[in-house]
Amino acid sequence: MLSRIERSSALQWLGKQLFNREDPAAFFDPLLERINPMWVQQYTPARVERIVDETADTKTFVLKPAKRWAGFEAGQHVNICVDIDGVRRNRTFSLSSAPAQWQDNGIVTLTIKRLPGGRVTNWMHDNLEAGDTLGLGEAFGEFLVPEISEPLLYIAGGSGITPVLSQLETLAAADYQAPVTLLYFVRTQADIIGAEKLYSLRQNWPALTLNVLATNESEQPRFLRESDLEEVSEITARRCYLCGPKGLMDLAGDLLDRQGIAQDRRHSTFFAAAKAALDTDSLGGAVHFSRSDLNVSSEGDAVLLDIAEAAKLSPRYGCRMGICHQCSCKKTSGTVVNRLTGKSSGPGEENIQLCISVPQGPVTVEL
Amino acid sequence: MKQMTEAQLSVLEQDLNAIRDEVIADLGERDANYIRRVVRLHRALEVGGRVMMPFGFIPPVFVAATVALGISKIIENMEIGHNVMHGQYDWMNDPSLHSQSYEWDTACDSDSWRLTHNYEHHTYTNIIGKDRDYGYALLRLSDDEKWRPAHSLQFVNYVLLSVFFQWGVALHEMEFERVRRGEVTLREKLPFLKGFLRKGGRQAFKDYAFFPLLTFPVAPIVLAGNLGANLIRNLWSSTVIFCGHFTQDAETFSEEECEGESKGHWYLRQLTGSSNFSGNKFVHLLSGHLSYQMEHHVFPDLPAHRYPEISEKVQAVCKKHGIHYNTGSFAKQYGTVLKRIVSYSLPDRVRQRIAPQMA
Repeated sequence: MLSRIERSSALQWLGKQLFNREDPAAFFDPLLERINPMWVQQYTPARVERIVDETADTKTFVLKPAKRWAGFEAGQHVNICVDIDGVRRNRTFSLSSAPAQWQDNGIVTLTIKRLPGGRVTNWMHDNLEAGDTLGLGEAFGEFLVPEISEPLLYIAGGSGITPVLSQLETLAAADYQAPVTLLYFVRTQADIIGAEKLYSLRQNWPALTLNVLATNESEQPRFLRESDLEEVSEITARRCYLCGPKGLMDLAGDLLDRQGIAQDRRHSTFFAAAKAALDTDSLGGAVHFSRSDLNVSSEGDAVLLDIAEAAKLSPRYGCRMGICHQCSCKKTSGTVVNRLTGKSSGPGEENIQLCISVPQGPVTVEL
Repeated sequence: MKQMTEAQLSVLEQDLNAIRDEVIADLGERDANYIRRVVRLHRALEVGGRVMMPFGFIPPVFVAATVALGISKIIENMEIGHNVMHGQYDWMNDPSLHSQSYEWDTACDSDSWRLTHNYEHHTYTNIIGKDRDYGYALLRLSDDEKWRPAHSLQFVNYVLLSVFFQWGVALHEMEFERVRRGEVTLREKLPFLKGFLRKGGRQAFKDYAFFPLLTFPVAPIVLAGNLGANLIRNLWSSTVIFCGHFTQDAETFSEEECEGESKGHWYLRQLTGSSNFSGNKFVHLLSGHLSYQMEHHVFPDLPAHRYPEISEKVQAVCKKHGIHYNTGSFAKQYGTVLKRIVSYSLPDRVRQRIAPQMA
């Protein structure tokens, strides 16, 4: 009922007057959460229904989002938020289930691998239990299945398989007729994510050619080769979908160039291993001010407030010494180092004080 | 002010930084749970107060509803709003508790508050001429300001300010005294006035129009209860805030002595310009832990519920550096505030005769 307040503009206006906030329905959250966590309005809650082990370091989290969640298309990702030690952490993951399943029984899945040093992935593996809730954003992303039937080639590596699982399942359910080939690179056969689903797809869907390649089972690492592509029938007619670690993506890009496959017939999606924050001297980096759509670069220990002002922006500020929080602002991605403590931030969305934050690598700030 | 060499100030800075670093390193679930518990208490009190208010034709219910709503406003303004806007909980990354987007339940627009309080008052604390919170450009509280006959009635002004405190705070950025002196034009104040009307209007609409009219047959009762709740909040918050910087031993500073000051000097000024009062847990909650004004001014962005825990360490640092730790019972501290307001309303010669300690 409360979520409807957000939809009616008169009620929305009234809510703002009464509760002094842009999201008036969330005013009651502290009470509602006690009664039923799925009634929370600040974010869309999703209940963890069960957790399935995929491999030694990968789990699938089966989620049931609150009814107001708007759904997704195969291959899209979502932001999730969880509170870890009192801090809300936001991360982006691909949905690994098919939209048809969500329409059927309201269930979606996230398949998540532990990242070395990753605060959120490790916490989810170690602490999340069936019955818990987490926050789910609306789905987004342009990694979508083709509109017309045509031959497809998927190249996936490691946990980059997750959006591909969603797409393959969707294509199979639509009885997609054109040939579909998946080259799936894993470290060893034990690291196949979604093995059961993939094998069952191969069995029941004749259009699919599945080729699982283990990179680390031979003496020489077995990476993507030109011959892998040459073995794919009608390779030049294929629309290509790439998702995996940077090394694989770069290699595949080069090889697809050589096959003469046009850029507009290639799709790749979000896949970034969150780098564990390193305490190095490598400060500075490319800074993107997203509201002003401005890109600048910084060097050394210049703080974001100075960088923004040098770029002719005039963010609000006060003491310029980390006391008053007048310059607090949302960082949407990237790592910054606190000049006062020398500590690095996480890579995700969070609030920072511009006057004491030094970029460490590329950073995007809402300014 | 106590004189310290730059070397001594640098040690003071390190000592206080060490206390701060220890808390920062320990921030986590305990702090998140604390503030969320307080927010939940606030929601329960506000919902309870507003639901009970229409039944206020039964006298005890009227009292309960008014007190519940008054306390809910006090908790929201003092322990939640004021502290959240200081950035005490920004690290939680919860959009509902973010310093720059929080809007509180009082007539003062949060943007105006963040400018006049977080920046001006907390940066230039007790510097006469720069900290407009010192006497609110309304009261003469030290002999830095020359006595004028109008000051003799300032106790009346003080009472009026307390009664209408939320409106006084809301109009603080208007800088009437500077407009009068021609230092700023009304036109320059237009953006501020727009914000004031928007937020002040919103608060007046809510408490004095919407909720009374919603329960039309008992509108006068609801209006009276809402006025009462706002009055309770106004009197209490004004009193707490006056105890923060206007007690007998709270010092004032000149612009010259603070020019180009070091962080250590800033710390010293925060300690000597602020004052605490003692009380039980409930008093600390209702004062938004401004009963630990010294700790608050030294560490304005540490979660306030930590102040009681670090108070002993701050006292130890004060002792080490020979800085007076200004505290006492609420009655004693507030007594000296009243004395200050009254004695500085008198011409200097009369004051020196009657209250020599204020000279």
